[in-house]
Amino acid sequence: MSDSARPRVAALALAVGIVLADSSIVVLALPEIYRELDTSVAGVTWVLISFNLVMALAAVPAAHIARRVGPGVAAAVGLAIFAGAGFACGVSDDLTTLIVARCVQALGGAAAVTAALELLPATVGSEKRAAAVWASAGATGAALGPAVGGLLTELVSWQSIFLIQVPIALGAAVPILGVAKHEMATRVIETELRPAGRPHLAANIALAMVSAAIAAALFLLVLLLIEGWRLTPIGAAIVVSVMPLAAFAGSRIDPFVPSAKARAAAGAILVSGGLGALALLPKAEVWLTVPPQILVGVGLSLVLSALTETALGGRAPQAIHGGWTISARHAGVVIGLLALTPIFTHDIAEQREDAIDAGTAVLLDSKVTPLLKLELAGRISDQLDEEKGKVPTIGPAFKPLPSDPEQRAQVETLRDELQDQLDRGATHAFSPSFGLAALIGLLALIPIGLARRVDL
Amino acid sequence: MSSNFRSQLLVGASVLASLVLVGAYLAAGGSSYTPKQTQDPCKHRQWTNPGSLQEIAQQFSLSAADGAACELGVSREELIRALPSEEARQRFLDEYDIGADEFARAIRAGLLRAIDDAQKAGALSPLVAGPLRATIEQIPLDQAIELVEDASSAFETFQNFLGPAGDLLEEIFG
Repeated sequence: MSDSARPRVAALALAVGIVLADSSIVVLALPEIYRELDTSVAGVTWVLISFNLVMALAAVPAAHIARRVGPGVAAAVGLAIFAGAGFACGVSDDLTTLIVARCVQALGGAAAVTAALELLPATVGSEKRAAAVWASAGATGAALGPAVGGLLTELVSWQSIFLIQVPIALGAAVPILGVAKHEMATRVIETELRPAGRPHLAANIALAMVSAAIAAALFLLVLLLIEGWRLTPIGAAIVVSVMPLAAFAGSRIDPFVPSAKARAAAGAILVSGGLGALALLPKAEVWLTVPPQILVGVGLSLVLSALTETALGGRAPQAIHGGWTISARHAGVVIGLLALTPIFTHDIAEQREDAIDAGTAVLLDSKVTPLLKLELAGRISDQLDEEKGKVPTIGPAFKPLPSDPEQRAQVETLRDELQDQLDRGATHAFSPSFGLAALIGLLALIPIGLARRVDL
Repeated sequence: MSSNFRSQLLVGASVLASLVLVGAYLAAGGSSYTPKQTQDPCKHRQWTNPGSLQEIAQQFSLSAADGAACELGVSREELIRALPSEEARQRFLDEYDIGADEFARAIRAGLLRAIDDAQKAGALSPLVAGPLRATIEQIPLDQAIELVEDASSAFETFQNFLGPAGDLLEEIFG
């Protein structure tokens, strides 16, 4: 690769990374958006779904357009649209505007990502190398997205997640402008068009299924940590960083196992195993999420790279087949979120009621004096009302603690028992969704197995 | 090591790691969570050897809450959370579509059941129980709710009011 090509490769990798990070970057900000825009859990999920849905629908058409108008033009225009829509997301003060801006952002993103794959072979020298750069930039963006989003939400605001993308996307567009100008001046693109072959069906279906399971893992885990266990976004960002770290470690396995089929199968099994364990968390303790996250992280790195490699391997043009993989992955995310959101929102509401009743039963059966019991019941009732629809933090309802040491100890025990009931209830509410996501991940083994004849 | 063997090793290790983790979480009670069950308020609860006035008042409150909850077809826990404030009560009435009269009747029925339970447990003498029943029929809803919340002051008042004459009558009539 020549020195003059490096800035362009870096710009293209940055463009792919930032767009694919956007698929998951808002995950940790969702609870904050949910509170600030005064919406429902199901409503706020559309901030995530809308982006992924438009990416899924627009990726392949965007790849075709990129080949017609020129990938340089498509990438530059795509990044400009992405930046403009990002600004609109950052200044939006209602859910509808935010969701519309996210859709526009995804349109620009789809154009930029697929055009980048068309531009990369000429820049790095080969289609294989281009595919590797493109896939790793996307994986890095997707893996880092939630943690970066969590940090920005905690340190600045959820709006900053979008506003910071504006200069980055525009900056990435600058080195591509030269190519765009050249394309517009020479108009050589159409004569270079090659017919696109059929997409690799089995690999793309498997990608969609695995992506559904992974999206569920990330989304549900974040909601469990923030809404269920009341961690701050920065705390949750630190916890879910285990997944990208494990993914990075998992990527080291690739060179030792040449068989993409074996890597894909092992990855799908690990993702399902991790999700299965998350469905069976024995206690509401953060450290218990670490081993399942390690399995999911290693698994996702194995399965995504193996399936993307298979879907792109020996197929031309790369942009179109890259478009299919983008489409499959984002469609999977959408299906996962649409299928699982109603389940866990229903379960969390039901479990909340059960846990609150169980907590009150603990209170009424406790040894504290009747007057204090009823006073606490009142304070708990107010606390529940204040934190309507969420799993409440019960601690403030017990303040001030009684001055009498014996009564104080009783009340502290009671408070811990009550919070334990609520935490366990919240944890249990996520179990069916994690379990279903694990099943989807396991079912991905079917297309992986069926792909034998096409040399997966 | 052949690439075929490495492939088999990778898949085998993935299956093993998944099974070990899922098995460990199952063994640690991952599937055993059930929330503490709330009891049927229509079922009479055993009074536990009431000693002090405080203990009697506590069990009286719980019996009254059980009785009222049974009348309204809700759990005792839900009713108790509705009692402490006007706002909480209104939320409860709206949620279950219960009218104010129906609620007042249920509270009084609960208090009467508590008196019966207290008498059966030997915690309340007939001399206190009688006037208390009559009082419950007359007092406004807010005071009835106060009685559910804390009956100790009412018991004290009745005992002080009856005074030594009450003790004498109790000795004569049991």
